[in-house]
Formats: sequence, C-alpha cells, structure tokens
Amino acid sequence: MEKPRLSRRRFLLGSGAVLGVAAGPRAARAQARRGHIIAGLSERMLTLDPANHYSISSTSVLRHVYDPLLDVTNDDKFVPALAESWKPVNNTTWRFTLRKGVRFHDGTPFTADSVLFTLKRVRDNTKLIKSFVYQDLEDVRKDDDYTVTVTTKRPFGSLPAHLTMLGMLPPGAAGNEDAFFGKPVGTGPFRFVSWTHGDHVDLEANAKYWKPALPKVEKLTVRFIPELSTRAAALRAAEIHVIDRVWPDMVSTLRATPGIKVLDTPAVEAQRWHFQLAREAGKDPRIRKAVSLAIDRNTIIKELLLGYARPVVSPIPPGLIGHTNLGQKPYDPDKARAILKQAGYQTLTLDFVLMKDLYPKQLEIAQAVAAMLSEVGIKVSIRNLEIATAREQRTAGNYDLFFSGWAHMPHDPDWYFGQWFTRAGAEKLTRFSDPRVEQLIAEGRVPDPKVRQQKYEEIEKILWEEEPEIWPYYSVAIYAISDKLRNFEARRDYYVLLHEVGIA
Amino acid sequence: MRSYLVTRIWQSAVTLVGVSILVFVILRVVPGDPAKMLLPEGAPQSAVDELNRHLGLREPLWVQYGIFLRSVVRGDFGQSFQYRSPALRVVVERVPATIQLALTAMALTVLVGVSIGIVAAVRQGSAYDYAGTVLAVLGQSLPNFWLGIMLMLLFGVTLRWLPTSGFHGWQSLVLPSVTLAAFPTALVARLTRSSLLEILGQEYIRTGRAKGLGEPRVVLRHALKNATIPLLTVLGLQIGTLLGGAVITESIFAWPGMGKLVVDAIFFRDFPVVQTILILSATIFVVINLFVDLLYTVIDPRIRYG
Repeated sequence: MEKPRLSRRRFLLGSGAVLGVAAGPRAARAQARRGHIIAGLSERMLTLDPANHYSISSTSVLRHVYDPLLDVTNDDKFVPALAESWKPVNNTTWRFTLRKGVRFHDGTPFTADSVLFTLKRVRDNTKLIKSFVYQDLEDVRKDDDYTVTVTTKRPFGSLPAHLTMLGMLPPGAAGNEDAFFGKPVGTGPFRFVSWTHGDHVDLEANAKYWKPALPKVEKLTVRFIPELSTRAAALRAAEIHVIDRVWPDMVSTLRATPGIKVLDTPAVEAQRWHFQLAREAGKDPRIRKAVSLAIDRNTIIKELLLGYARPVVSPIPPGLIGHTNLGQKPYDPDKARAILKQAGYQTLTLDFVLMKDLYPKQLEIAQAVAAMLSEVGIKVSIRNLEIATAREQRTAGNYDLFFSGWAHMPHDPDWYFGQWFTRAGAEKLTRFSDPRVEQLIAEGRVPDPKVRQQKYEEIEKILWEEEPEIWPYYSVAIYAISDKLRNFEARRDYYVLLHEVGIA
Repeated sequence: MRSYLVTRIWQSAVTLVGVSILVFVILRVVPGDPAKMLLPEGAPQSAVDELNRHLGLREPLWVQYGIFLRSVVRGDFGQSFQYRSPALRVVVERVPATIQLALTAMALTVLVGVSIGIVAAVRQGSAYDYAGTVLAVLGQSLPNFWLGIMLMLLFGVTLRWLPTSGFHGWQSLVLPSVTLAAFPTALVARLTRSSLLEILGQEYIRTGRAKGLGEPRVVLRHALKNATIPLLTVLGLQIGTLLGGAVITESIFAWPGMGKLVVDAIFFRDFPVVQTILILSATIFVVINLFVDLLYTVIDPRIRYG
C-alpha cells in the first residue's frame, strides 16, 4: 500500500487552519472580509467635515468614516450607534449614555470629551453649515467619561434625529482642523485613505470596528459621477457596483442589462409646490382649492413618473412621526371651474417657478400641470430658472406657485414645520402665517413622541384643509446595483450605506 | 522689438485688471445669494445673514474688491464658499486633469487634422479628399454630447475596451480626448486643406518643382510652412479654449477638470472659485496670444514688430 503523501496544498490548508485557530476570532473576521466595492454617487463630495455640509452624497461617504451618536434605520427607527442609550430627563434636557471600548482610527478612545467637542464646535462655530440647527443647545455637560447631559434653550424633541447626521470627532482635532480634515479619523467602519477631488474617495476597512464582523469588504471606493447616463454606463460596463438617483425613464434600460438589479423604495421626500401666500392667487383659499382640484395627480404619477411615486395622503410621508392618513386629494375639474366661477375669476394667470434640472421630469410635470389648469381656465406661465435665481425670485416674492420637494432629512418633520409654517421661517419664502399652527409647532417640539404625534396630526389637518401647498406625490428613491452585491438596502433617505454590504 | 514687448506686457496687465473688475462686479450683480446656495433650503434667514457675514459679502462692493485685489497680489484668491478651502487650491487640484485632456486633444487635433488636410490638398478631388471632407463636416456638426455618449456606449459598455468615465490612467483619457478633439480636428483639417491649396498654386511652388525638388519636400518644407500662419492663430485660440475647460466633455465623462468646476461654481455662486478660474484663464489666454504673436516672427521672418 502506498503511503499517503502530504501534498503542498494540503500542508498549506492544514497549517492555515492551525494559524486560524491560534489567531482567534479577529483573524476569522478578517478572512470573512473580502472584496472591493465601488459606488457611483450623483453628487460630488465637497468636504470631509461632517458638520459643514447638508449634502446627501457627503453624508453617505462620511457615514463610513465617522459614527454618529444614533443611527436611523430604513423604517425610521432611531437606534444606538456611539450612544448606547438616550432619554429625555425633562422637556429641555437629554441624557446620553455612551458606548465603551470604542476607539478612533488613530487609537484614541471615544469618550464624553468627543461628544462635548463635537457638539460645542457645531454650536459655536457659526461658519459651519450645520451650526444653525444646534443654536438651541444651552449646555453640553460631561457627567462622567461615558455620560453626557445636553440642555436646550427650548424643547428640542428632534435632537436625536439631528444627531444621526453628525459624525463624532476626536477632541484632538481642536486647533488644527485644517490638518485634521486633510486626513480625518473617525470611529467608523472604514478608514479614510485618499480623496481625488471631483473624482473619487478611497476608504479601507477598519479592522478594529466596534460592530463585530463589519465591514464586509476590505476596500470601498466612492466615485462621483453627476451625469445619470454616465453613472448608468459605468454600472452597465461593470466598472462600479451601485448607483443612486436613477430616474424612472432609465429603469427599463437598466433592468434589461444582465447582471443589474433595480431597487426602489418610497423616499422620505414629499413633493410640495408652495403658493406665495401674499400674492393675489395664493392669498385666496378658493383659488388654492381650485388649483388643487384641477390637478390630476394620478396621471402625473402613472404617465410621467411611470409609477415611481406614491399618492399623497398627508404632508408628512408614511413612517415618520406625525404621519396620518387624511385621504387622497380628489381630482375634480368641474368643481374647480365652479369654484372659480363663483369666486368671480374670469382670467387668472399663475406664475409657476421651477429650479432648473433639480427634480426628475419636473419640466414635463409642470407642463402637464399647465395643461390641466388651462382646462379650468387658469393660465400658467412656467419659469424654469437657474436654482440661485429661482430662490432669489422666491425671496423677493415674485411667484405664485413654486416647484419644490422636501426630504424630511433627519427622518423628522420638525424642521419642515418650523421652517415653512412659522412666521419667522416662512417670511421670505411663502409668507405663511397662522398663529394656531405656530402654537402647535412649538408644542410639538417636546421629546414625548405621543404628544408630538398628536400635535403634528392637528397641524396636518389644518394644512390639508387650507392647502397652502399642493402635495402632488411622495417621491420614490431608485437605485441600481450589480447582482454581485449582497445585503444592499435601498435607503429611503437616499443614503448609500455599504458597511453591511458584501460582494460575491 | 523690445519696446513692442514692453507695450504688449503693459497692455496684458491692463487687460487682466479689467477682467478682474468685470468678473468681480458681474458675479455680484447677478441675482442669487451664495449663503442660500450653501445652506439647505430650509435654513432660517438669520443663518443666511450670519453666513454671508462670514463670507465677507455684507461689505460694500468696493471694499470687497479692495480686499480681493490685495489678497490676489499675495497669491491668495480667497476661500471657496462650497469647498471651504482656498480657492486657488481647489482650482489647482483640477489643473492636471485639465492639462492632460487639453494637451491630448490638442496633439490629436494637430496630428490628425493637419494630416487629413495635407492629404486632402495634395490629392485634391480624389476619394481621400472627399473622405476627408466628410470627416471634417461630421466632426464639426456632430454635437459633443452625442458623440461622447455614443463612444462611451460602444467602447465602454458594449466592447468594454475602455473605461466609460473617470480619471485614472491613460485609458480613461482616450474617449474624452477623442470627443473633445473632434471639432478642432475638423476645423484644422479644413483650414490646412484650404490654405495649402492656395499656396500650392503659387509661383514659387512651381519654381520649386521645376528645379527638381521632390514632392514631399515641396509640400512639407515649402508649402506647409507658409500655410502654418493661419493655423497657428486658430490653434492658439483652441489651446486657450481647451485649457479653460471643456464643460460638456467633462460632464459626460465625469472628468474632474476646470470646465465643470467653473460651471458648478457659477451655479452655486462660489465667487472665489469663479474669480480664480476666470482670472487664471484670462492670464493663460493673454500669455498664449502674446507667445503666438512672437512665434509668427520665428515662422515667417518677414514679420517684424517694433
């Protein structure tokens, strides 16, 4: 009988197994982590400072480098990240208990000092883009190394939501921020490697990430490809694995390409075309009503957006706190005509202002709306203006109806209400003013979710009745991915998050 | 020559100051508020005012210009509003991509354009001439964006020979530079053909042939050299245009060049970046024009200045 020979391959396999056992779970984890994901995002990243932007692309990239105190899931639940727990002590005080044993990429431990530095920095440095949101912070106090108490000048129920968008920084960044943001360190699942401005960012796995077995891949590259057709071509050529912001009319081409999957999900965004409430047309509730009745929302959704939008049943999209189903707005051109006749309007012209190329199919939709309104005797003049000019026109009040959308970004409607339905917020926008609504918004700022739900429902009922805005549809977020990706989640906040995603 | 040079340099300096004033004023006169573009749509007016104060936009225009001019002399073009870092750095980071694309497109233009022009002129009326004319007409009439997307779909998506977009390695340079070169190549081909034809009919060419010079020497040495003057003017202008950025080509191929940067900066009212790019472009334009004017004297010794 021939003596069994130990082949080279067997020997290597055997010794690998021995080494694997000896090295313990970390090595096993590293073995499971493999591959390189390349994402193509629609918007170029502008900064590596998590407090200095409100860009979705930058949020997507930076979420991989920095961890916030809280995360928000795709079904709008706030879950622990660097804070293990949080609770309101009273209406103006929040207490956060921090996760222990977390380290920044440079080895410094994450403690209450990081939270103090990050929150005080964003509040006090008013040059930072996110600073205005945190002006209500009164004090940020360290109770011990892992407990922080935040007091606010007025109730700030949406604070946890806002904190999902603020990555925690090491206090060592103080005083040399330029150098720090040249090569930043966070506690996130990936380490920053390099950024070729305008082109791509390279990240590598943080092998010591505090969440076990994450991230799933060794390397992550995010390329910035603003043109949708180029983004789609790169995906079809298998150069990248995922793209965001797919438009409805691109879906069939992508679906027809072997190896590509298209995913969609209702977004946290509601389209809302607001009236200038101090001008003749917007001031008269009868005209607002007639305009609303004359718009066939279902046709817009079906024909122009090819089904990639959802009918609106209240200003706040489903899933968010405050959402309530108030039923769809009816399409009834006869009734619209009757209302206008009764109100004595023979000829009426509406100035409909658009921010050029901002929303999918917006010009076609505006033209369809113009045709629908002409059916009831309202002439629409569409002004498709460059974004800065359109906003300037809005500030000056030179519009009747303004085409816009609102992504309820920290998955909370407080910002939307506070900005658009308070006198101070809406002063240079829609000129909305209603003391009842303003009172309810103030009352809805408390931390208690039950109170917030109740107040927001009341606000929505008033708005639904008065229609200071037309809510034509809830947007749908569409992504296309390579079928090699595992566990990719189409996010309703348009983020592209890849630390739990693997690649075959 | 020396006094000519001094005058031209002086004129160039005045031109550049004029450009800086014009750019500065126009940017601030057009509607649009930079702070509003930086902040999210729902930022309160107080935040807008505060940010504008930080950006130095609440000062009177002449004070802003004074500060700007003083800084520029020190090489400081201000902080980019969008990128929150020095505008000059933001622009300079895009220079390698811009120069690579411009020079490759220029090289293609000269090589292909002049070659087609020569062949078409020397073989006037032949199939080569007609083919050259067809190519030239196509090159000048096909829109950039269409050509770019077609090349991308064919060579990137279907054949997978070249990357569809991005800025990594020479392969990614091929499609954008061919797209960008299409128009100037056609222009140069037509111009070479027509000016060469004109010169090939001249007496001294006939003399050259009569004294027994070979055809290549007649065409390349005697005719082409004289046909180069109008070509140089066009090429000089084209280099300026290409270096200033090729917005459409850059957009299609996600090329991180200056063209797209400036357009985005204009849309976002990022004044420092727009100012930096326009002033640098104007400087390049002025310098290249000066250089081309001086080059004439080298190419054609009959031209003398001063």
